[in-house]
Amino acid sequence: MVGVKEGQVVATHGDMQAEVNRGLNCIKGYFLSKIMYGEDRLQTPLLRKRNGKYAKDGEFEPVSWDEAFDIMAEQCKKVLKEKGPTAVGMFGSGQWTIFEGYAATKLMRAGFRSNNLDPNARHCMASAASAFMRTFGMDEPMGCYDDFENADAFVLWGSNMAEMHPILWTRLADRRLGHPHVKVAVLSTFTHRSMDLADVPIIFTPGTDLAILNYIANHIITTGKVNEDFVQKHTTFMKGVTNIGYGLRPEDPLELKAGNAANPGNMEPTDFDSFKKFVSDYTLEKVAALTGSDPGFLKQLAELYADPSRKVMSLWTMGFNQHVRGVWANHMLYNLHLLTGKISEPGNGPFSLTGQPSACGTAREVGTFAHRLPADMTVTNPEHRRHAEEIWKLPEGHLPDKPGYHAVQQDRMLKDGKLSFYWVQVNNNIQAAPNTKNETYQGYRNPDNFIVVSDAYPTITAMAADLILPAAMWVEKEGAYGNAERRTHVWHQLVQAPGDARSDLWQLAEFSKRFTTEEVWPPETLEKHPQYRGKTLFDVLFKNGQVDRFPLSEIDPVYANNEAKAFGFYIQKGLFEEYASFGRGHGHDLAPYDRYHQERGLRWPVVDGKETKWRYREGYDPYVKPGEGVRFYGRPDGKAVILAVPYEPPAESPDKEYDFWLVTGRVLEHWHSGSMTMRVPELYKAFPGARCFMNADDARKRGFNQGSEIRIVSRRGEIRSRVETRGRNRMPPGVIFVPWFDASQLINKVTLDATDPISKQTDYKKCAVKILPVA
Amino acid sequence: MRSQDTPRRIARGHWTVVTAVAAGVFSGTFAIAQMVPDLSGPADAMGQVRAKPMPKWNVDDVRKMRAYPDQPPVIPHSIEGYQLSVNTNRCLSCHKREFTQGAGAPMISVTHYMTREGQMLADVSPRRYFCTACHVPQADVKPLLGNTFRDMSQMGVQPMGGN
Amino acid sequence: MGRITRLAGWIWKLLTTPAATLSLAFLTLGGFVGGVVFWGAFNTALEVTNTEAFCAGCHEMRTNVYEEMTRTVHFSNRSGVRASCPDCHVPHEWTDKIARKMQASKEVWGKIFGTINTREKFLDQRLRLAQHEWHRLKANDSLECRNCHSSVAMDLSKQTQRAADIHTRYLLSGKATCIDCHKGIAHDLPNMQGVKPGWQMPDELEDPPVPAASAIDDLRNAMAQAHRQHVEQER
Repeated sequence: MVGVKEGQVVATHGDMQAEVNRGLNCIKGYFLSKIMYGEDRLQTPLLRKRNGKYAKDGEFEPVSWDEAFDIMAEQCKKVLKEKGPTAVGMFGSGQWTIFEGYAATKLMRAGFRSNNLDPNARHCMASAASAFMRTFGMDEPMGCYDDFENADAFVLWGSNMAEMHPILWTRLADRRLGHPHVKVAVLSTFTHRSMDLADVPIIFTPGTDLAILNYIANHIITTGKVNEDFVQKHTTFMKGVTNIGYGLRPEDPLELKAGNAANPGNMEPTDFDSFKKFVSDYTLEKVAALTGSDPGFLKQLAELYADPSRKVMSLWTMGFNQHVRGVWANHMLYNLHLLTGKISEPGNGPFSLTGQPSACGTAREVGTFAHRLPADMTVTNPEHRRHAEEIWKLPEGHLPDKPGYHAVQQDRMLKDGKLSFYWVQVNNNIQAAPNTKNETYQGYRNPDNFIVVSDAYPTITAMAADLILPAAMWVEKEGAYGNAERRTHVWHQLVQAPGDARSDLWQLAEFSKRFTTEEVWPPETLEKHPQYRGKTLFDVLFKNGQVDRFPLSEIDPVYANNEAKAFGFYIQKGLFEEYASFGRGHGHDLAPYDRYHQERGLRWPVVDGKETKWRYREGYDPYVKPGEGVRFYGRPDGKAVILAVPYEPPAESPDKEYDFWLVTGRVLEHWHSGSMTMRVPELYKAFPGARCFMNADDARKRGFNQGSEIRIVSRRGEIRSRVETRGRNRMPPGVIFVPWFDASQLINKVTLDATDPISKQTDYKKCAVKILPVA
Repeated sequence: MRSQDTPRRIARGHWTVVTAVAAGVFSGTFAIAQMVPDLSGPADAMGQVRAKPMPKWNVDDVRKMRAYPDQPPVIPHSIEGYQLSVNTNRCLSCHKREFTQGAGAPMISVTHYMTREGQMLADVSPRRYFCTACHVPQADVKPLLGNTFRDMSQMGVQPMGGN
Repeated sequence: MGRITRLAGWIWKLLTTPAATLSLAFLTLGGFVGGVVFWGAFNTALEVTNTEAFCAGCHEMRTNVYEEMTRTVHFSNRSGVRASCPDCHVPHEWTDKIARKMQASKEVWGKIFGTINTREKFLDQRLRLAQHEWHRLKANDSLECRNCHSSVAMDLSKQTQRAADIHTRYLLSGKATCIDCHKGIAHDLPNMQGVKPGWQMPDELEDPPVPAASAIDDLRNAMAQAHRQHVEQER
């Protein structure tokens, strides 16, 4: 709930009636009121200029929106002409509202005919999304947050919910502390705040979680705890190819050695017996030795899954997803839930958490990934493209069929000059991208490229751009987000953005007016379909008779709506309804837009006005017919995949010279790159600057004091930080943790740009560094 | 300092002296009032900066006013070394109702005795057990830059009844 | 069998026959030197076993309690004065020290049989182990704390107001002893359910003494008792 007075947000508080949080916020939520009021808020477009003209090496000068869009359109057209649509790209995020992500995907794919659109959600949960699609044929969790009140055991796989999902943590803690039989297992590469609630704390050597997962499968099978009826009716066994590489540049020696780097996602059918044989290798002794974990706790953990009377909720985020074998890790966890049938019912299920407000709602459901279309469709599927073309009223064969560049690839292509017009919204990727000094930053400053960054504040990414567009944020616009339990939320605009700041939606739609179909579409298309001639992209994409069909009169007069006013129709509702038509009747049903203004969110599929809490199970999910019991209807055979894949080592491990594991991540008080939270005095003071969490004995052996300034050096770059041997993160010997919210300690200069080869998600949790004194 | 192809600063001669007030007056001329490495990166974007010393905690025990009623109070003392786990809760050993008189500490709010459904409990609700999710100590440092948030009391908030 | 009996008899004879060829001086001196060597070795061994390196040399100690202690103020602090394991866990008084060392023989036993050789087992035992130490420190009025931290030498003006108030109210008045409030100062705490904040109640009402599990415990309890009386007399 937001309190507004004289056009300013003056207070925030937890909504007692909201089902997710029931009146609670975390420290960041409580201080949300202040995020918009940092003194250096951007209020006008800024363009690099020299002698009154745009120059790549110029200095930022304030310009009007007209001038900004003029130069931007000129640069875009130049690139389209010289290098074609594949040289145009955009980077967005799960902070985009649903309308913004949807408008962006239309502008890029349908307007510029480029699939080079990716969200920073690629860095965040692409592995989860990939594995959901590969296992169930549909993205996103089957369960919902109500599982917290129903589970008997919680297993956190590489997730520090206490800091990263504090509201859900209150629900988990409520359950654990209020019900003595409930157990919590926490697995991580170091001890953190979530371990403070653990009955089964397990610290493992980075990357070896894969072996633990296969050990548990082995344990379930050898102790006779397989739910045979479920396995037979609802699952199918597959075996994945191995030696799949690390998503590095193709000329990297590691990629040359990887036999299946070109087709990492391949799988072939197999059966239960060969699966059983496959995991039989993962014995307790072997796995305890490989992981360095306590065998007693490993066994306790395996028993949580094996015990048929215990309902288990597995939770994971970055530890699993930011993993060079992240897709495998996700699969291996589904294996456990499928072998035991502990899925799709209250308290039982694998639950993939997300870190951004709308990673699910915007990045995944809208389909802002380089290979995706709305409602789980893909650009490589001709039927899917055709369906999208029909809904978008586009000529047949208009949408490009090749997946675009994913996040890390975009940076590489910018550097290589193959991607030359690049628009970044709601993102701080110079700070967030791996190996940023050698890859990302080089691409932004490549003289061939024109880089536009829309942001509310002068982030390091904005400062590396050529044109900065001031953005409206949060309640300065009408918005909609979708969270991890498939809940879609809508809010009204409550205040005006300062100065000339405008929402990303306005920017996208307004910019599209600067292009005519003749300028950007192939002449053949227009010849065949002359009705598109003489139209702007705005006409084709937004004034298409669908998006513009709701008049301003449908807007609640109590609230402002700048975008609707600017374009003359209720654009948010129009975009939402057009977008919703992709999923209705296909298991992704959204309610009519207006209903979301009345509700505190609804979990899709919303069928006959009712939300769905547990998918794939009769009685909960309207898509499962009576008598079917369970049906994973995302796949043609209705069966989920149990995949046999092994443990494979990380891309880079410590050696004699680079003798530490580096793990990066977040802290409770700062959100992602800190661009908002570092500007709130209370949050800044609660965690003022990054530091290097380190084992105290390690520090002493190397002669570093608590608080010493040190250099953290990898083969790629280095930063300076301070030694922290205390506090919330308790490091085992040989592992350090550095949060990435601090732009003055750019830890991503040090990290490795290895990705999961299947999902292309970066592994920020495993690379080798050395720690040196500051001379 | 910085190579020719990466100039990024606004009106070099001015920005260091331009204060918030001046930024307001000249806005339009100087679009970015100040550049703080912690927020916008070092002046030479990929350059090396000295890591600031780790600050001390504010331990003056003086209660700070809240910015609005639902803001959790910040902690005016250090909590370094305080254990807060399933086994023990150092915060509650002073701030729990039963202990406040002996410890001289403020009692935690009554809202913390409510269940998810808003029913009162005899003891602190387990959902509120991990205090540090909302309550944080404050380092003895200056904010990186100002925040123009205005307190509602300065705007003359009127009393309101329910509706 | 006969041979062994014969050999034993011969040794017995050798030992019981007065020395005929060695001088009295040699024997006296030899005995003295032998004594010195024995005493030296004994003390050296005592000293060696009284170092942090020795304690942390043991896997059980290193990965559990030592690891936890390295994150605390007793491992690193402003002026670099630090306490190592024996400073807090081995009495400085000779008789107490020997008693503690005798008790440690039980720990050797535990080491051999792997009583706490995994984190899981250690956590299971933690409450019991911690209670031993709390009771010991309670009984001797936090003697090992006071070896360094003399309450009379505390400069209240250098403490935060909160700490100064509480120290005045409970510590200086003798109502509480260090360990009452500072449990967990150097290690993670076990489940504290039912263990009330130390400043809250008179010590007789706190946890009952640990029942004696062995003769060593009896000795320890007796000594603790004596200590307590001694401390009370001093007051």
